[in-house]
Order: sequence, then C-alpha cells, then structure tokens
Amino acid sequence: MSVDMTAQKTAPRLATARDYVDLLKPRIMMLVVFTALAGLVAAVGVTGTSINPVLATVAILAVALGSGAAGAINMWYDSDIDAIMTRTSTRPIPSGAVPKDEALTMGLIMSALSVLLMWIASNVLAAGLLALSIAYYGWFYTMLLKRRTSQNIVIGGAAGAFPPVIGWAVVTGSTSLDAWILFAIIFFWTPPHFWALSLVAHKEYKKAGVPMLPVTDGAKATRFQILLYTLILAPVGLAPLATGLGGVVYAITGVLLTVAFIYFAVKVWRSRAGELDAGAVERKLAMSMFAFSILYLFGIFAALIIERGFGLYFPLGGI
Amino acid sequence: MTDANVTPDTELLLKAQKRRNAWLAVALLAFVVIVGVTTAIRIQETDFSGGDRLYFSGYMDEAASEKADREAQARIAARQAAEVEAATSTAETTEQGDE
Repeated sequence: MSVDMTAQKTAPRLATARDYVDLLKPRIMMLVVFTALAGLVAAVGVTGTSINPVLATVAILAVALGSGAAGAINMWYDSDIDAIMTRTSTRPIPSGAVPKDEALTMGLIMSALSVLLMWIASNVLAAGLLALSIAYYGWFYTMLLKRRTSQNIVIGGAAGAFPPVIGWAVVTGSTSLDAWILFAIIFFWTPPHFWALSLVAHKEYKKAGVPMLPVTDGAKATRFQILLYTLILAPVGLAPLATGLGGVVYAITGVLLTVAFIYFAVKVWRSRAGELDAGAVERKLAMSMFAFSILYLFGIFAALIIERGFGLYFPLGGI
Repeated sequence: MTDANVTPDTELLLKAQKRRNAWLAVALLAFVVIVGVTTAIRIQETDFSGGDRLYFSGYMDEAASEKADREAQARIAARQAAEVEAATSTAETTEQGDE
C-alpha cells in the first residue's frame, strides 16, 4: 500500500490505521455483525443444531470482513459525491488519505477472502448469501440504485437485511421462515431509519445530486413515508411472536420499542422536519428518531440473543 | 540507503509504508492460521464414511441425501448391535467359566 501523491485532487496526507478502519464503515459493520450473530444464535436455539464455537466465530468474522469489503467498494465508487457533502468530506478517500484504487483493491480482495472464509467455516449457502449481499450493496445499490431512484433506500435496504439469514444458514445449511422474518424486519426498518437522517441532510444530498426522497418528493412526502414504513414495520417486528421465534422477553422488548418507534414516527410526521424553514427543534426530532431507530433494531435483536443464547426463552404459545 | 533526494517527507512516507506492510503481513499470517485451524476442525467433525464432504456437506439431490442418511443410520445400528452381541457373549463366557 502506498500514498499516491498524484491521483488525488485533495492534498494527500499520510494515512493512519484509523483511515483504513474508517474505509470499512465500522459502525455499519457492528450492526451487521450483531444481526448476523442474532440469526446464528436464534438458529441454534430454534433448531437445536449445534455449531463448533470456533467455526461460528470464523463465520462471524467472515461476515464482518464482507461488510467491510462492501463498505470499501461503496466509498471507492461514491468518493466524488462524498467530497461534495460536508458530512462525508472527511472520509479517507476525499480527504486524500487513501488513494481510490487502493480502496477498490482492498474491497475486492476482502470480498473474495470473506466469501472463501465463510465457505471454509460453514457451507456453500452461507458463502453464496454473503457473496450476494456484498454484490447487492457494492454493485446493485451503490452503482445502480443510489443515483438513479428515490427508492434507492427501499430496494437497497435488502443488502443490510441479509446478515441474520446468513447467520441462520451458517448453523443449519438452509433458511427458514424465521430467518426471512428477521430479514423482513431489517428491510422495513431501513427506510424510516435512513429517511429520518435524510430529513436533516437533504440539502447535502441535493448538492451532490443524490435523489433521496426529501430531494425528489419533498419533506412532507418523506415524513408520510416514514410513518407508513414504521406502521408496516410494527407487525413485522412482532411476527417472531407468532412463529414462536420470540418469547416473553422478546414480547416485552418488542412491544415497548414498537410503541416508541410509532410515537417518534407520528411526531416526525406532524412536525415540519426537513422543510426549508425547519428549526433546530425539528432537526433534533429527526435525529432523535434516527438514533432511536438504531436502538430499536439493537433492542429486538438483543432480546433474541438473550432468549435463545442465554436460556431465557419462555414461549408465548406460538405456532 | 542514503540519497540526496530523500527528504523528511519521503522518509515519513517510507516509514508509513513499512508500518502498513507489517500490518499486512500480520493480517496474512492471521488468515493462514484461521484457514488452517478451521480446516482442521472441519476434518475432525466430518464423517467421511457417512457420505459427508468437507466443503460441500449438502446434497443437490434430496433422495441421495436421504439414502446416505439411511445407510449411515443402518451402519451405526449394525455397529451397536455387534457391540451388544460381543458384550453378551463375553458375559456368557464368563458365567460358564464361573460354573
């Protein structure tokens, strides 16, 4: 690896280890790893299939590597718009710390290694799903959807929804309804989560020419879509109770978090968040919803891990 | 290597490059170790006599999978029956010896 003194438009600076970590989008990686772990633990608890802890750790490591690889490819492709937006202008490529080609190489090599590692540690299905999710995010979402349609987040949300299915496949070598319910939770969670942020950052997206919903359809339509997707998410988020995947702990956590999520969505819907004349209170409200949405996802997946991983599963009388 | 063109800036760059190379070497070593350990565990856990394969444990053909399962179960049952029979005959021999 080297510092390319000529390829960067920005004045290059010496890359630190932190720059390479940032290139892997560590915050997204943490959420990906956490949801994959939840899928894995839930599969062990539901099916009774055991897995060697070392192999499980390697499989989770492969998911982390794959997530980082997709992040690096995304940063490589989006470096032009990242340089335009203030929020992303300090990222490793636009700031001149990491050359573009190097980020792409790193992403591609890590993609290959992660899929290979997953195959060695688990099975073909898990490795195939990991490869599919990397391609979905790195190519389909980043290169095809993001700059073309305001539904980029809705369709692209599937990329982030794969990890629990991968975790499930690692243990069982197959997928089940429960695994796809976990997929659906993340899929329907992504639009309200991301649109809450885009209500605050819509000017930046407009400047960069990214057709996020507030830019193309306006703030009012976005607030309505946030409410709509939250209302769809509510029953989907509680669906594990119907199949018996979630027990008492999940029921309590899920109901509380769902009610709070709807409360935030209604408040945002009734506010003027994202409008040109919106004040600090509205911006704070949208950011609060964004932050709460992370807590929601973390909470319900943590409830699954606690129930299925720590023997605290008390059934509600599922199917 | 001393060179008149080596400025403090390039010296810093070279140092950074060396540091990154060292990290890359550690990452590669870790990868090799992980693959080695994973493969060893997979070999230990795989029942090759039962039709398992190391990196593709599933069957594309469901019927073939069920047939392999049945055969593996039959082998286990036969082995257990043979063990029970051996234990019984040993016990009988001991009893006859006592008489």
